[in-house]
Amino acid sequence: MSASESHEQPGSHEPVDPEDVPIIPADQRGFVFQLGAAALDGLRMARELYSVFVRTLYFMAYGRKEKGAFVQQIYEQGNNSVFFLTVFMGFFGMILVFQAGEQSKRIIPDLSLLGAQYLQLLVRDFAASIGALMLATRVGAGIAAEIGSMVVTEQVDALRMCAADPIEYLVVPRFKAGIVATTAVIIWSCLIAWLSGLLTAWSFFGVLPRTFANVSMVSVGDLVVGLTKCIAYGAAIPIVSSHSGLSTFGGSEGVGWATTRAVVNSSLAVIILNFFISAAGLILFPSK
Amino acid sequence: MSGGAVLGEDVNKKGLVERTGASFLRVSELVGGFAVMFARILSRVVPPRFDGRQLVVNLYKMGVKSIPIVAVTALFTGAIMVIQAAPLVQRYQAFGLIGWGAGFGTLREIGPLLTALMISGRVGANNAAELGTMSVTEQIDALRALAIDPIGYLVAPRFLAIVITLFCSTLFADFLALFGAAYSCGPLLGVEPRVFYNGVTSGLLTFGDVAHGLVKAVFFGAMIGLSSCYFGLNVSGGAPGVGRAVNATVVVSAASIFVLDYFISFLSA
Repeated sequence: MSASESHEQPGSHEPVDPEDVPIIPADQRGFVFQLGAAALDGLRMARELYSVFVRTLYFMAYGRKEKGAFVQQIYEQGNNSVFFLTVFMGFFGMILVFQAGEQSKRIIPDLSLLGAQYLQLLVRDFAASIGALMLATRVGAGIAAEIGSMVVTEQVDALRMCAADPIEYLVVPRFKAGIVATTAVIIWSCLIAWLSGLLTAWSFFGVLPRTFANVSMVSVGDLVVGLTKCIAYGAAIPIVSSHSGLSTFGGSEGVGWATTRAVVNSSLAVIILNFFISAAGLILFPSK
Repeated sequence: MSGGAVLGEDVNKKGLVERTGASFLRVSELVGGFAVMFARILSRVVPPRFDGRQLVVNLYKMGVKSIPIVAVTALFTGAIMVIQAAPLVQRYQAFGLIGWGAGFGTLREIGPLLTALMISGRVGANNAAELGTMSVTEQIDALRALAIDPIGYLVAPRFLAIVITLFCSTLFADFLALFGAAYSCGPLLGVEPRVFYNGVTSGLLTFGDVAHGLVKAVFFGAMIGLSSCYFGLNVSGGAPGVGRAVNATVVVSAASIFVLDYFISFLSA
């Protein structure tokens, strides 16, 4: 992260135009050129994301609050994703328990700890990460398509003309709603995945629900790691997708590109954040 | 309802029965559209009547250009699998099993699943956006006017390219995920990579596990290809329509990936 470069006034920080890069003829581009270009692209992207993030935090503290936008966004991101996530986390729970049961039968024919281990894995990682990957496709694509269309049809410029900062007006409600909605929806989908796992274990392996419903392995550390992930993903998805929406250019093709980039980048953000939070969790809360 | 997002109709103002019926009709329309699209693609593929040069171009755009994303995803996935298996392994001190534990999960489930989600985000969404832009700007009608079959020229090569890309990417991701897992074992658990490789090759994991993942990849690829081509060709309403089509593509691909994953795991167990 290029944090040190960005200590200017939040709000005065315009994203770098990708067209500003000096163009080298295609026949002179070697591997090193491409590597350097990719690294520069990555740095520029990180800097822009940082700038959007800082401005969002700034306007969250000092900006005007638009009535209803927050609730509207929670509805868009949360309520509209509930059905989607319920179906997929239900299927995911079935797959996971089915595979785990089949596999542990090969080694230890004792499935009495299956439920406890499954719940721990769900709380610590899978509910948040898989759920957030699904949300990254649905919510991320939605945000980028919406903001991207607004940029292409010059509605964002119109906002600027009316002295309303697009970050304050568009990104802040999505950011705040993202944190709340992601956390709530993921807790719900964790419950669904656990229930579908319980039913799978009961019907395929004959593990009684009483045995399966075992919370002894879930420690405070697991809960903390899981909730941290929810909040981190909930903050990352709107920021990353709003950024790709706001940097849309061109017509309908640009909207398509922005949406693609939003999905890819927010999924990557989820995977990379997952790695760092999981590693930190492993170090901070070592298992007994 | 997420169904509302799929075709972009506002159904929230109607009653419950009407909404149920509407979503049922929408889902039927979708399934029927997919089936027709699949039949049309198949008829261009089986006696090969599609554009070979387009296939090569698309393989490059979809496959080669996705390598960095697939590589990053796979390396991190491998490391995450080790982190998730770590408490269990530490509890039983069964360090020899970590290769098997992480390898099993990666090869059969997480590898194909995450690769498919990333490819669906990058390739599927991009494909829908491209085809959508072409149909909004009436380029597809122009193709028809020139007596060029849009299915044979645009859709079938893309469909094939996505299936082949996903198959190869999954193989590549499996390999890289195991690599990432092996080399994250050292700093995280103090396990030598050699112990990890021993766990992978000790006989508990067979070629069947890899093949299971690859079969999944073919089905996932077919679903991503179908949904992106279907939604791309059926765009209406300018730039916002393209955005909606991309959104619908990723949602439907992700949905069908999870549902297919369950059925394939269940049927082949």
